[in-house]
Amino acid sequence: MANAHHNVAVERYLWVGSLAGVFLTWELTVRLGVVPESRLPSFTTTVLTLSSSIADGQFLMLVFQSFLNLTGGILVALAVAMPLALSAGLRNRFDTAMTPLIMLAGALPDVALLPILVLWIGPGNLAAISIAAFSAFFPIYFTIREGTKDIPRDLFHVAAVFNTGRVDTFRKLILPAVSPQLFTGLRLAYDFVWEIVLAIEIFSGVIGIGSYIAGTVETGAVSEAFAAILAVGVIAITVDRLLFGRAERWIRRWMD
Amino acid sequence: MDQAVDGLIPQLELKNVSKEYAQTEESIPAIQDVSFTLDRGEFACLVGPSGCGKSTLLRMAAGLDEPTSGEIRFSGDRVTGPHPKISMVFQSFALFPWRTVQKNVEYGLEVQGFPKAERLDSVEKYLQMVGLSGYEHLYPRQLSGGMKQRVGIARALAVDPEVILMDEAFSAIDEFTAETLREEVAEIHSETEKTFVLVTHNLMEAVELADKIIVLSSRPARVKKILDIDLERPRDRTHSEFVHVHKSIFSLLKEELENTIVRRRIKRLSEFESLSDMEEQRS
Repeated sequence: MANAHHNVAVERYLWVGSLAGVFLTWELTVRLGVVPESRLPSFTTTVLTLSSSIADGQFLMLVFQSFLNLTGGILVALAVAMPLALSAGLRNRFDTAMTPLIMLAGALPDVALLPILVLWIGPGNLAAISIAAFSAFFPIYFTIREGTKDIPRDLFHVAAVFNTGRVDTFRKLILPAVSPQLFTGLRLAYDFVWEIVLAIEIFSGVIGIGSYIAGTVETGAVSEAFAAILAVGVIAITVDRLLFGRAERWIRRWMD
Repeated sequence: MDQAVDGLIPQLELKNVSKEYAQTEESIPAIQDVSFTLDRGEFACLVGPSGCGKSTLLRMAAGLDEPTSGEIRFSGDRVTGPHPKISMVFQSFALFPWRTVQKNVEYGLEVQGFPKAERLDSVEKYLQMVGLSGYEHLYPRQLSGGMKQRVGIARALAVDPEVILMDEAFSAIDEFTAETLREEVAEIHSETEKTFVLVTHNLMEAVELADKIIVLSSRPARVKKILDIDLERPRDRTHSEFVHVHKSIFSLLKEELENTIVRRRIKRLSEFESLSDMEEQRS
């Protein structure tokens, strides 16, 4: 019994071993001269560069900038998508009028819209937040719409029988009922938005971690570029776990 | 209300209730001229062929749907929407999956703005009544069908209603559990003296629980017969009188079903004849 317990604990952390393997291979590839250090900095160099970049302070400011663009975009998308998706999920007529249009807009390539947007409003936070909101809108809209459609009719009858007001129907019925889909939508949006925010920063010079990466590549500071990319990955997964992991645990408690 | 206590005004009254569904050109009658009255504390069962509109009637009594004509009165007041003294139990249980047992039972009082302490007292009382004390912190997914319906019943009771409407409340539960639950509902009925209306297609269930059985015809639903059931409680399914009552309602419904089949055949036949007439004319 104790042994079985031990094995479960070991299995949960097997990924740490695989990760160490990846880092070791990376380190050896460079150290043994398979790839020249000028092209690919070794793992240890990357980590050292990262720590000195972080110590610099400016690096963290850039990360913060990117984060602002990302969060702003998601919040704007949520504010716009939520009422539309709820209306579409609850009213068939609204759905048939709106959803085809939204599908059409969703088929537009957001990366291709980037230069146009920058042309219109210049390479600033506003452009970054706008394009991030555009990317985030679609996963949020479609997941909430689905979730709303899936609410059993009888739950609305319960709400009606107990004379639930409009605000409470939203707070105590619709919102918790769609929360699993809402979190799926937000998570998808979060992944999409990281990409598009980095893209606008790299290609249009909006200030952020992306513009920093573009700058380092231009000056040939490959190890700085790698350090920044590694940092983005680590931050993205940490935030994902902290934010969505908690929501996921709550939903798992009650969902079938 | 006081008059209702005196028995001058019935607890629940349906007066010439009809329901039509507007179709493209003509409207299709679903319920036609249904009238009956229930006194305080009566247990009524609505039985009828499936799809006849029993559930629609119940939903109208709950104020979830409006009759096309006629009216429904609760203690003399016209029902125009949900009423705080009319509560409902659903076939699908309709529990909120994200709420614990406790929070589900609390729901009605919570949205009606009762203070927390009062809510908790009520939850405790009714969970005990349905035999679910100690299950307060479980989620619906952790409960069996029978337990879910106990929560549904406790939730309906928690707002201290005068009328409890039950829509096929025992149909989605395995028969053995359903039987126990019926006995408990019969007990709750005699203890609380609330008025119950149960829609069911299970005649055994109806005879076991009802003071009054309202037999409806097939669509459009009309009142075919109203029977008062005076059998002694608790009722024994094997008792000869029980069997007799069950048999008589069964033959009533069977007759109704046969009529429907004959009516449908005649309709089809006449359609066929008019079709062949048309073809004759054409040729």
